[in-house]
Amino acid sequence: MNQEPSLRAQPAAREGRYLTFTLGDESYGFPVLNVREIIRLCPITPVPRMPAHVKGVINLRGTVIAVLDLRAKFQFAAKDYGERSCIIVVQVAAPSGGNTLMGAIVDAVEEVVQLTADDIEATPDFGGAPETQYILGLATIEGSVNILLNIEKIFAEDGTLSLPPLTKPEPTQPDKG
Amino acid sequence: MFPENPKESSISRFPKAADIIGQLGEELAFVAPNQDRGLLPINRFVMDLEELAEADVPPQLTAGLQVARVWLDHVLDGPGKFTKETIRNFNEWHAWMTSVLLSWQTGTATPAWPEGWALTEKSGSATQRDGSATTALPSGAEEPSICLDLAEDFGLLREFHGESLELLQGIEQGVLVLEENPADATTIDSIFRAFHTFKGAAGFLHLDALRDLAHDLESLLDAVRRSELPITSEIIDLILAGADALKHFTREVGSQLQGTNAGVPIVFPTRQIIARVQSSLRGESSPEIADPPEGVERSQTAGVSSAPMTKTSELQAQPKVRQSVVGAFRELTIPSPASGFVKLDTAKLDNLVDLVGELVIAQSMVVQNPDVQVINSLQLVRCLRQLSRITTELQRNAMSLRMVPIRAIFHKMNRLVRDLAAQKQKQVQLLLEGEDTEFDRNIVEKLSDPLVHMIRNAVDHGLEDSADRVAQGKSELGTIRLTAAHQRGGIVIRIQDDGKGLDRGRILAKAIEGGLVKANANLTESEIFSLIFQPGFSTAETLTDLSGRGVGMDVVARNIENLRGKVEIQSVPGQGTTFTILLPLTLAIIDGLLIGVGDHRYIIPTLSIRESFRPAPGMVTTVHGHGEVVRVRGRQTPLLRLGHYLGTASRAVKPEDGIIVVVESGDAARGLLVDELIGKQEVVIKSLGRAFRQQNLLAGGAVLGDGGVGLILDVDTLVQMPYQPSRSAVPISPATP
Repeated sequence: MNQEPSLRAQPAAREGRYLTFTLGDESYGFPVLNVREIIRLCPITPVPRMPAHVKGVINLRGTVIAVLDLRAKFQFAAKDYGERSCIIVVQVAAPSGGNTLMGAIVDAVEEVVQLTADDIEATPDFGGAPETQYILGLATIEGSVNILLNIEKIFAEDGTLSLPPLTKPEPTQPDKG
Repeated sequence: MFPENPKESSISRFPKAADIIGQLGEELAFVAPNQDRGLLPINRFVMDLEELAEADVPPQLTAGLQVARVWLDHVLDGPGKFTKETIRNFNEWHAWMTSVLLSWQTGTATPAWPEGWALTEKSGSATQRDGSATTALPSGAEEPSICLDLAEDFGLLREFHGESLELLQGIEQGVLVLEENPADATTIDSIFRAFHTFKGAAGFLHLDALRDLAHDLESLLDAVRRSELPITSEIIDLILAGADALKHFTREVGSQLQGTNAGVPIVFPTRQIIARVQSSLRGESSPEIADPPEGVERSQTAGVSSAPMTKTSELQAQPKVRQSVVGAFRELTIPSPASGFVKLDTAKLDNLVDLVGELVIAQSMVVQNPDVQVINSLQLVRCLRQLSRITTELQRNAMSLRMVPIRAIFHKMNRLVRDLAAQKQKQVQLLLEGEDTEFDRNIVEKLSDPLVHMIRNAVDHGLEDSADRVAQGKSELGTIRLTAAHQRGGIVIRIQDDGKGLDRGRILAKAIEGGLVKANANLTESEIFSLIFQPGFSTAETLTDLSGRGVGMDVVARNIENLRGKVEIQSVPGQGTTFTILLPLTLAIIDGLLIGVGDHRYIIPTLSIRESFRPAPGMVTTVHGHGEVVRVRGRQTPLLRLGHYLGTASRAVKPEDGIIVVVESGDAARGLLVDELIGKQEVVIKSLGRAFRQQNLLAGGAVLGDGGVGLILDVDTLVQMPYQPSRSAVPISPATP
């Protein structure tokens, strides 16, 4: 996962405020600028035939937004949602311009921290096993490690995660003979 | 009461002349083109003046009377009716005579002889100051006038009117800014764009004089924009004069639309402005046209009736009196039309619709709240009922805000067909159906271009020449039928011509030639037809200036695809071609049937539902041991167990435990086995967002009454997907890179 040495060389670009939350025993962070709000878990309408981590959709004051389960996304063992489980609503820049709202289910929200460039380290190379592509960097906060996540990467990919078209290929395909 | 200045000998004549001219003015105010109303009284007054002028009056008055006599005789000897030109001339004349009176009264210098007034016999003193005065008003230099085709273009004109008012307001504001800061590039740009838009609209409505003026003003501003011309007060004057003329016209359109003077040609005095603009563009300073009569300014016309100082004379105001023009421009606040429109940011609209949706849900939460329900109060029940009535009404209103009838676009097509037919010398009638069908405005806007293109194609290539049609035993009159409807849970627009139909052989040959298909390709008819949507496809031999069938059809297809729609073609040689545009109801409101499968609820668009029933034992038969069909109205229809397909545990194990909903898409139908029907509901389709954009199982989501999200099934997919009998669908694993 060495495709982005330039980003890695400049951790300064990532300094700022982060909202930290937990998944299992691990601590993660989202850039605060992307976070719109935090809501309690509410009934989620499942969307059929979707990957397991796409939990479904919710009605956020009239807007239908997709909700992902970050535990499932990062292949944590499935666990019932607890008292502190909640949905972090984030704003993701769409490649086509504009913003989309999406929700991420996390185990618990912790706090907002201010991180300087010195606090953030580049992602070490695990040799491929953990998926580091979603990781912006690692931050050490009061002795414990916090994994900063790249929101664009996490959510952008789900645009391609859905079903392939169910219909047969377009009959307009001219080269079929 | 008159000042002592007038010469002794004429002192008794002045009030009389002023009186007559005043009455003449009143009479003039009532004349109308193509009518003789007022002609005889005016003649009478002119005769009175002539009698008066036999002795000692200013020479200009006599000269003016001679001009009027020529004109009047011309009218009396000729058609016996006024025309718009004569009316305008008389109004100008009256204004000038008024100013002559004024100079007579005050003893000041007499006004200049207006340019272009012809005299049958030279009246010495009157022509002294201006050598060009005797140039006859050439007939070719008549001010253009425009006759509105109210019957044909009513809707378009109304749109034009509203839009124009807005543009003019923009120009007006722009001019005010320019006066402060002549170098403001943004403002120049915005005025440029406003004139450009004006030109476009005028061109479309064939308001040629208007288009020409807007075009010249646009060129002027363009030159300014590129710094080819410095912005001077002269140019600002020109912009103002131009905007004034446009405003005059727009106001006339507005009053005609409201039924005043309907059908009366509108005189559109642009000649001078255009001439000045063009000379400015050539870099000359504008030709000084004869000084306007000083008396035009109202303040000086005291004592003389100013009734006939009509708009026309105001519009003739020359740059010399710029201050007053600017003033007039500022004063003339544009009257708001009776039924006004407001342009809104669509995001605000969406927001409103969302909030109203929230309100409805909050309202039902209050009503259904158990604590509230135990309150035993008739008063409360009444209040709650009132609340729910208002919220429902509010919701319906809010939803309808986004919907507009497709009428405006259809009527544009009317115009297009008329023009194209004339150009191609074909006889074509356009039949419109379903103009009142309401579409989401986003769709309506984006539909215009593809429709124009397809209609062009139909007129140009779909329909044969009259001679060919007659030879084939068809009516000489070609027919294009344009229909819009809500169907199949979506929007269907059909363009149907009764022309020669698509030439399969040629399309195929062309496609093979162009390398789009292999020579040995075995294509079905619809596959061949859809080749015309391939980029770069064109049966070039049919190319004309209007269109080539195939040229740009790929653009049409792409536009429609961008709306998540598709185009289908049916064509019978010799009988015509039908293009069917199918569009989804994104953002639209649909009637949905809420069904339950297992623990989940889904919405099926009511329009796609043919019927629903509880099957009796034995109605469902298996085929090859796993496929299932159900007999519906004598036809075996494939059955799809929705629960299995969606991966939800269904409660209905045997078909007779559930309900079969028969849905259709195109000619195909399929029975969906669901657990229960929950209810019918009108819902607003909401996009599911980016995360689900690549699936085609769901057409969208909708917020249900309890605040949850209901998913709307895409019936086309369910009906058309390859037959997958009652097997549970396996979720597809994440395609991680």
